[in-house]
This record gives sequence, C-alpha cells and structure tokens, in this order.
Amino acid sequence: MSGLPKVAIFKFASCSGCQLEFLNLEPVLLDLLGMVDIAHFVMARSAVSPGPYDIGFVEGSIVNAEDVGRLKEARAESKLLVAIGACATHGGLQAISNWLPMREVENSVYPNPVQTHPLKSFPVSEYVKVDAALSGCPINKYELVEFIKSALLGVTPRIRPHSVCVECKLAENVCLLVSEGKPCLGPVIRAGCSALCPSRATPCTGCHGPSSDCNVESLRNTFVGLGLHQSDITRHFRKYAALDAEFQKGGRT
Amino acid sequence: MLQEDHPLVKSAGAVSLPAAELNEFVAALMQKYPVVAPIPKGREYVFAQLEDAAQLAKDYQPTILPAKKVLQQPLETIFSFVRQEAFAEDGKCTSLGEEKICFVDNGAAVQKRILFGVRPCDVNSFNVLDEVFCKDLPDPFYCRSRHETLIVAQNCVKPCRSGFCYYQQTGPGLQRGYDLLLTELNDVYLLEVGSEAGRELLALHPFGAASSEMSLAKDELLAAASRRLPKHILTRNLAELLEENVDHPVWDDLQRRCLGCGTCTMVCPTCFCYNVYDKLDLGLESGVRQREWDSCKLMEFSQVALGHNFRKGRQARAQWRIYHKLLYQQRQFGKTGCVGCGRCIYSCMVDIDLTDVAGTLGGE
Repeated sequence: MSGLPKVAIFKFASCSGCQLEFLNLEPVLLDLLGMVDIAHFVMARSAVSPGPYDIGFVEGSIVNAEDVGRLKEARAESKLLVAIGACATHGGLQAISNWLPMREVENSVYPNPVQTHPLKSFPVSEYVKVDAALSGCPINKYELVEFIKSALLGVTPRIRPHSVCVECKLAENVCLLVSEGKPCLGPVIRAGCSALCPSRATPCTGCHGPSSDCNVESLRNTFVGLGLHQSDITRHFRKYAALDAEFQKGGRT
Repeated sequence: MLQEDHPLVKSAGAVSLPAAELNEFVAALMQKYPVVAPIPKGREYVFAQLEDAAQLAKDYQPTILPAKKVLQQPLETIFSFVRQEAFAEDGKCTSLGEEKICFVDNGAAVQKRILFGVRPCDVNSFNVLDEVFCKDLPDPFYCRSRHETLIVAQNCVKPCRSGFCYYQQTGPGLQRGYDLLLTELNDVYLLEVGSEAGRELLALHPFGAASSEMSLAKDELLAAASRRLPKHILTRNLAELLEENVDHPVWDDLQRRCLGCGTCTMVCPTCFCYNVYDKLDLGLESGVRQREWDSCKLMEFSQVALGHNFRKGRQARAQWRIYHKLLYQQRQFGKTGCVGCGRCIYSCMVDIDLTDVAGTLGGE
C-alpha cells in the first residue's frame, strides 16, 4: 500500500454513529484519504490491512471479556490510541445499566439472554492507556479533522476543554437556563459542538461529557432551584458520563 | 472616535424628534450607512445590522453580548497563509528559512457604520477598551473598527433589570463619547450632538427645536432612573477592602458556587482577552490565523508551557475576575473596569453578584 500513515477504526459496544462521522466528512473525505491510509474500517471497506497502525480510533464501550481482549490487541497495534464518542470516553448511554441489576437489563434487551455475557459498561481508559479522547454522541466531525491534522503535524490538537456556555455565548444564544428556566447541562459539559443543541433552543443533555474543572454540585443545586425532582436530576447527570468522578456527585441518589 | 478633551464632546446644541418619527430617522441613517442596533432575539436582545428600521428595539434590556462585539468581534480572521513554491517577495509573501509562505492580511478596510441605540454603560466600556487596544500597542482591528463607527447612544430613562451604572458613574445618563445622544421624553426624543460627524447625521432628517424644558425633563428623568436602579455597589473604600480581604470567607462561597463556565466574562463589555490559533486546511499547506474571545474563568487560560497553571483553582479565577474589574483596572487605567451594566449578574446561573461581594466585604 501507500506510505501514508495508517489509520484503524475499531468498534466495541456502540451504535456506530461515531464511525459514521468519518463518512459524514464527505466534502473533505477525498482530501483526508490523500493524507492517511484508512487501513481498517469495516463499516466502509471489506479489505482490512493488518497492523501496526499509526492511529487507532476506538468506538464503543467495553462490556464483556471478549471486548477486553480485542481492546488490548488494538492497543498493542496502535501507536496512538484515541477513544472516540461518549461510549468509549465515558461508558456511554449503556452505562445506565451499571446502576441496574444485570439480570433485569439482560431480560429487557435480549430475547435469549443465555447467549450473552455482559459485564458493566466501562470506558476504554478503564482497561488500556488512551492517548487522546474525542467525546460526544456522536463525536464532532470538525474536532475529528482537527485531531487528525494535529496528529499528522505532531502538535497538540485544539480540542476545547471548557464549557458549552463559551460557544453558546459566542453564538449569542438566549440562555435556556437563565432566560427560560430550563435544565441545561451546558455549564458543566465540554464544548466542541458549537453549542449545537442550545443553538436550536434545546437544552444541552451533556453528550460531550464533563468540561475541565466543572462544578457539578453547584449546577445540581441550581436544578433543585428550578424545581426538578431529585430523581430527574440524577438521570440528567447519569445519561452520558455517569462514571465520571465529578458527575457522580450530580448523579447520586 | 472622540477623545475626552474634544471640544465637541459636550453637547453643542440639541434638536427634538417626535417619537413616532424615530423609525424614519433610522431609515434615513440606513440609507447612508449600515446601522447596527439592538433587535429582539427570543426573550432577549442582540446587536445586529438592521435590515428594516422596524426591527429596532427602542426599549430594551441589555443585549446578550455587549456592543463591544461590534468593535472586537467574538471570532475574527487575522490573516491567511499558504505555502508556495514560487512567488514574488512583495511584502505579503515571505521566506521563512527553507519555507516560502505567503501571508494575506485580513485587515481589509472597515466600512463606516452607525452603532445605534447603544446605552451609556456600553459607550463607557469603549473608553476602557480604548485604553487597552488603542494606546501603547494599538490593535489595528479594534482601532480601525472604533474609528469607523459612529455612536448614536441612548440614555436610560428606565432602569434595566440588573444595572448599577450610577454608582460606577457610567450611567444612566451619558456625559461623553457619543456622536449623537438620544433621550426619550414621553412622546418625543431629545437629540444632543457630540461631534461634527453627529451633527452631519442631523441633516438626514427634519428636526424640531429643543426647548430648555426638554433639557430639564431629561435631567429629572435620569435622576429618577438613577434612584430606581435595581442594584447598587458599595464604592467607598472598595479598593482598600479588596486589598485587605484576599482571604475573606466570601471567596470560599464563590468557589463553592461558581460553575467556572465563563459566561460572566463572555457577556462583559470590558473584558478584552482573546486567544490566537492557527487553523490549517486538510492538505496542511494553507490555513488561517484566527482570534477568539477567551476567558480568565476557564482553567486553561492561565496554563503555561509544561503545564503549570497560575490560577488552577476555581476560587482563584472567580476572585481574579472581581479583583481585575474593581481594583486592578482602576489602578492600571485610572478608570473602573466595571461599567455597571449588570450582564454578569443577570447571566450567572448560580446568582453570583459582584455587588453582593462588594457589599459583604464592606459589612453591608
């Protein structure tokens, strides 16, 4: 094959929406293919070239022993291992099962639970060293491109660590929390989405996971002030990043 | 832009305009220049270029972002660059060692425009920003915008929802810094002239004469508005109180509540910090250098190479903002860094209020 840096995309427990964002790069996809060799991308091409890979993107959370084995192989084959999407970075939506009896979860999801052996849902970083993380449900494709460019240049990518509020204010949106009294998670959620939901008058539900040094306890008190029930508040904070240490303060019962 | 000592800064004549004719006057201004004015957005207001004079919000609460955004845009491209094999070294294109890089300045001529209906607090914020951007090391982007922007200000005869301008001497009546100044008196506007450029705007529409009664009515309305402001800030000995109370429990309370989200600085009319970064095209051969508003409330703001962070704790950052607004800027520029618009108070999701902080320090 070519001498271009080799990229692999590995899938674990996920909806494949983050992989799809690679294909949603359509306007620049050909340019991207001029810069890297996408060597392992089962969703898009049947031919898979073997590792080692320069960048391994990991989508999905780790939910069983087989996953752990495959993940360790992916780690061994990838110079840079990048967790992409809320499942890989924080355990994802399916991590709500971590607070339910596993038997109940199995029976509600699978027709024949005997064939499954799920464990709790954990982020990739629980099992292997992760070099970079692009959070989001799905990931933001512009952040993905920014990451690939930076990796090719060998510089730190400009991945926004701060709150959604910053991008929301830059877009001069009406604040849903202050002006409309809606429970928006923006103040504690990492930006990088250009405040996608608040820009469409929908409160942030937190798919990008925690922002740096966020104060979940304080936002929880604000939600109490808005009149939310304790159990609703817990669900808000458990939706995407329940396992995060700071978010556990918001997601306590 | 007017210097404070400009002979025309003080009103040199005034005219009147029936309230019903304001839109006609605005339409006449729009014929001559682009007009940026407050318009409604959902339950709030924003400054935007008018497409129709009827869009103008005549009676408005402070806009989400301050009028500053017209002069220092939230996001702007400084220059673009491209790597080229062959080019003429004509000042735009430069060789950097082996590399040949062509820079294209984005500083295109700014079109003259009118900032209409801007309130005294925002006009006063420009005086603070001028100190930062147009003195020792002039910022060409800001200064150019500032120079090409005519200011038609509007006094606040009704107090806004969280302002305390009177105590910062930045409102509700404007003293200087305008080309034209409107004051709404029941069904008529009093227009005062602040500059020759402002006087020229008066030629665009027929006006009536202003009477001395109007001038009196203006003073009375503004005096009444200043007494009805929803907030007040303790100013006596505030500098000393801040200096002596670096460890006051009020800061612990701030640390507990502050979300560190950066909103208060994003909506502040006197915050001027920005971040600069390069954005490369996918081929890695060309790109743009951009700058974007930044905030001292964000953890990474004070982080330097090798990872040290001078204000890692949320408390240090929450405290810094208030010290910078109420103490350090006063020291540095001889004028307050807070113009009392109240945007940070209204926008804060956890009700952090710097007038409360000042009051607590003063034992109120």
